[in-house]
Amino acid sequence: MAPQPVVTGLSPKEGPPGTRVIIRGEFLGTRVQDLIGLKICGSDCLLSAEWKSSNKIIARTGPAKGKGDIIVTTLSGGVGTSTVQFRAYHETIGPLKESAVWIEESPSQNFAWGRRTLTQSGLTQEDPLGLSIEGNEQKIPEDLRDLFPEACGDLSQEHFSPSWFLLENHLATSFEDLKAGLAYLKRKVESQKEGQLSFLKSNAGSVIDQLDTLMNIRDKLQEDLKLHGTEPLNILEASIENSITESQKIFTDVLVRKEKADSTRSVLFALSRHKFLFCLPNAVDRRAKAGEYDIVVNDYSRAKNLFGKTEIPIFRKVLEEVDQRILSIRKQLHEKVVKMPQSVDQQKKLIKALTSLGAPSGTPIGDKLRNIDPAWDAIEARAKYLEATFRQTFEQHANKDAAGTPEKSKSRDRDRDPSQAPSRVNFCEELCDIAASQLPDLWRLGQLYFTGELRGPHDPKPGDFKKMILNAIEKFCVYLRLAILIAGDQRALRQSSGLSWSIGSASATHQFLPWIPQCLRYTRIAYATLIGLDLPSDALDIIQKLIDEVRLFCFSIIFKRSTDRCKKLGSQETWELGVEDYPGATILPAALEALLVETLDEVQSVCMQPESREGNLLEPQSDGQREVSQRLQEFLSTFSAVIEELAFQSHDEETPTHNVSQLLGFPNAQQLDSVASGGAAVTWEQRMLCCLANYAYCNKSFFPHIGDVFVRYGYPLPTLAIETSRYTVNQLFTNLLEEYVEHKGDPLVGTIEPSMYLGRFQWDHEMEIGQLRPYAHECCDNLVGVYSEIYSISPALLRPILESIVQTISEELARLMSCVQRFSFTGAIQAHVDIRLLRDALEGYANETAKNYFMEALEAINPPLNVEQKRKADEILERVKRNMRLQLLCFTIKEP
Amino acid sequence: MSEPTSHVLPLHRIIMLGGEGVGKSALTLQFMYNEYNDEYEPTKADIYRKTLQLDGEQVQIDILDTAGQKVNVVIRDSYYRRADGFLCVFSIADEGSFQAIQAARDLVLQLRKDESVPFLLVGNKSDLQEERQVPLGECQARARKWGVSYVETSAKLHQNVHLVFYDLMRQISSRKASESMATNGGRKCKKKGCHACAIL
Repeated sequence: MAPQPVVTGLSPKEGPPGTRVIIRGEFLGTRVQDLIGLKICGSDCLLSAEWKSSNKIIARTGPAKGKGDIIVTTLSGGVGTSTVQFRAYHETIGPLKESAVWIEESPSQNFAWGRRTLTQSGLTQEDPLGLSIEGNEQKIPEDLRDLFPEACGDLSQEHFSPSWFLLENHLATSFEDLKAGLAYLKRKVESQKEGQLSFLKSNAGSVIDQLDTLMNIRDKLQEDLKLHGTEPLNILEASIENSITESQKIFTDVLVRKEKADSTRSVLFALSRHKFLFCLPNAVDRRAKAGEYDIVVNDYSRAKNLFGKTEIPIFRKVLEEVDQRILSIRKQLHEKVVKMPQSVDQQKKLIKALTSLGAPSGTPIGDKLRNIDPAWDAIEARAKYLEATFRQTFEQHANKDAAGTPEKSKSRDRDRDPSQAPSRVNFCEELCDIAASQLPDLWRLGQLYFTGELRGPHDPKPGDFKKMILNAIEKFCVYLRLAILIAGDQRALRQSSGLSWSIGSASATHQFLPWIPQCLRYTRIAYATLIGLDLPSDALDIIQKLIDEVRLFCFSIIFKRSTDRCKKLGSQETWELGVEDYPGATILPAALEALLVETLDEVQSVCMQPESREGNLLEPQSDGQREVSQRLQEFLSTFSAVIEELAFQSHDEETPTHNVSQLLGFPNAQQLDSVASGGAAVTWEQRMLCCLANYAYCNKSFFPHIGDVFVRYGYPLPTLAIETSRYTVNQLFTNLLEEYVEHKGDPLVGTIEPSMYLGRFQWDHEMEIGQLRPYAHECCDNLVGVYSEIYSISPALLRPILESIVQTISEELARLMSCVQRFSFTGAIQAHVDIRLLRDALEGYANETAKNYFMEALEAINPPLNVEQKRKADEILERVKRNMRLQLLCFTIKEP
Repeated sequence: MSEPTSHVLPLHRIIMLGGEGVGKSALTLQFMYNEYNDEYEPTKADIYRKTLQLDGEQVQIDILDTAGQKVNVVIRDSYYRRADGFLCVFSIADEGSFQAIQAARDLVLQLRKDESVPFLLVGNKSDLQEERQVPLGECQARARKWGVSYVETSAKLHQNVHLVFYDLMRQISSRKASESMATNGGRKCKKKGCHACAIL
């Protein structure tokens, strides 16, 4: 602790209150805040103290009087001491004296202030020297008591000291004046010594005047006595009393009226001043009716600010009324907020108004309102409304459909304009519109709520909101699914949603199917809107799933339609051979490709091309790919079926021309007919061959080409479908080939035996040799005919067809030869020549089996040929070959 | 309120004499607090008191810093009568102040009727030698004539400030000692003895 403060110097050392004093000393504080007390002569001067340094403080003295210490108190040093003392004195303030401070006046003013005292006792005489003491207010040098320890300045005291008196009262009086004062005093003493007689003498005139006046007064008194009796004052008193009461009454009256007027005025003033508050209840109602909630909010908050804490009962009453009104307005507002439909902005405005109208907590009303979260209520209401709208729309359309279908579905289906959309489509459009318009509103409201713009007093519930959004979207999807995916698993949907939309008649369904792309478009538009909203991805995924499903469904439908169209392709067959790289194939595959390309184009534009935020349907191992494969397979197998139908359809129409054997003499009229009818058109055989060619073409190059088309469109190569289809086509090709061979080969082969034994021919008879037998000729010719027929359509088919025919021929020959019992010499040569010729001619189309048969036929000639016979046969064969050079030439071409 | 020790300790009352602006307050403040301020502010009547060591003895010094201007005569006289010693200050750079000290000396002699009262003639502002108006010789001559010591000081540069106060206090204490002896011995002879001491 620092040393005690010590005051050792004062400048000045005395003065009246308010004197500026420089206090010097030691340890007067380390800083301004350290100085916590300053007393000069007992009066606290800390307020005026100005701390300069630890040695110096400047202060102004307080209203103290007398001599006293200067006590400085500091935090660090405590209460201090003083070696010097200050003397405070009060100056007497006269009319001509300026004063900086308030001077206590009461002691110097007696009760009869302002009146001159009538008599002046010599003892109390203020100015015994007859000198003015004005201007003598010089400070008293020291304590007079110090100077004159045993004296007193009081004239009446025994130990009166003239020096004291003079110092006290005439400090500034000059010596000359004092002399005059002395003379005055002496004169007074002299006059007192002369006595009463001399006083009378000198004042004789005035004494007589006084006597006269006294006489007059006595006369007047007696007159009054006669006039008013002994007690004249009574009347006077009574009338005075009376007038006093009267005046009192008037005064009171006026006072009361004034008070009344004053209070009325103040009331009016208060009314006009707080007009705002008093008008508020009605104003609030009016504004609320007009829908100007902003103004209501404004006024209410203003009123709350201004009068919220008022204690004045009338204000409180009005405020309570306002609160009541506000409460009812809040109720209305709340109803309005929850009421749908309305725009988000409107709702936002209402919610803001509601939130702003929230009463301050503490009041029971406020607490009750506090629990209400208008924004959340609005969101819930919106979500409910959305759901209700979905349902309502659904029911409306579903009921319409249901009501219409059973009664007059026939007529309606017939009457219905095909361009007019079915109600499912309308429903889709409406539902999507609703979703696209209301979901964004809901979402925006939610965003506003969670960003805090509309936040109520409660914490937000993001989980609930998300659930709500998801729920709404789920509902949306369920309804759409019900409406669109009529082929889907309706039962599962019905169980999950409890809703159903009867599928109705097949024709209605059929009518609806082409509209599905339209529905998809609506859904996609709605989806695009929702994507723009920045919704959570799991919400969008729901719709995406739906869209993907619908897309796939769409795809299936389009392909099914194409398949249907493909079925009708048969009628378009013109039998024109238009394929360059595969002779014999018609333009049917080209038509199919055109159809496929068209379909793929449509599919691509309608559904396969993924739009924003949609999945690729062609993921490996996905439903999409499976569907594509399946559809393509279906499509291609339909095509195969079409070709088959074409082939066999013609089979039914025409009987095949059995005009194989001219030798047997079948009626020629039929052949002529068929030639006449088939000349312009295409013959059955040609069609058959075309179909065969088509099959082969499909198998060989067209189907892989289809695969290329798919790849070109961005699909994965549908290997499975193509392979399966190729297999089917192969199968069909084989069937058809067998059919053709049967139809062509059977008559040909069948004619050999009758032709051989024509004209009772026997092999054991000798015969003229040197020529070929007619049956062999005929067989050759027939084969050439078949050959030319095939060659004109599709050379590629020659080998498979001819091979099988040649085989049957060789088999037949072998059979026939083995049946012959015995050959004549010439017969053996003839048979040998015939068989060898045929064998040699057909060598190019003979397979191993056929060759064996031929060998078997040759070996069957019994007895075997001797050398001469052989030579003869070679000779004849040589000649016959030369003769038949042209016929045989065509068979020698290995690969036409 | 006064300390109990102050009754015990000898108290030396000193009055500062001299014309206005010669540096009485400056000397006083420099002596008391080692404080110097160039600004001039007329003094009314300031009082300073502190305890200090004088030749191994604790004494209290009471300095009355009077106004250089004209003041009330009665008060002044009462002060002069009670003082133990006088520091009579003039400015060596002010001829007028040197002339004025004669009146002060006369007044002291008139009131005390004792030429041997402790008295010191101080020529202040010795730092202003170039502005000097009173020659040193004249000053010393005056001191000799009065039978007092003459010291030149500079309150600004703190030259001889303590010297003059301590000189005067020594005069006072020795005079008090001889006075008390004189009281013991005889009242009449005290003044002359004291005078001798002062000169010594």
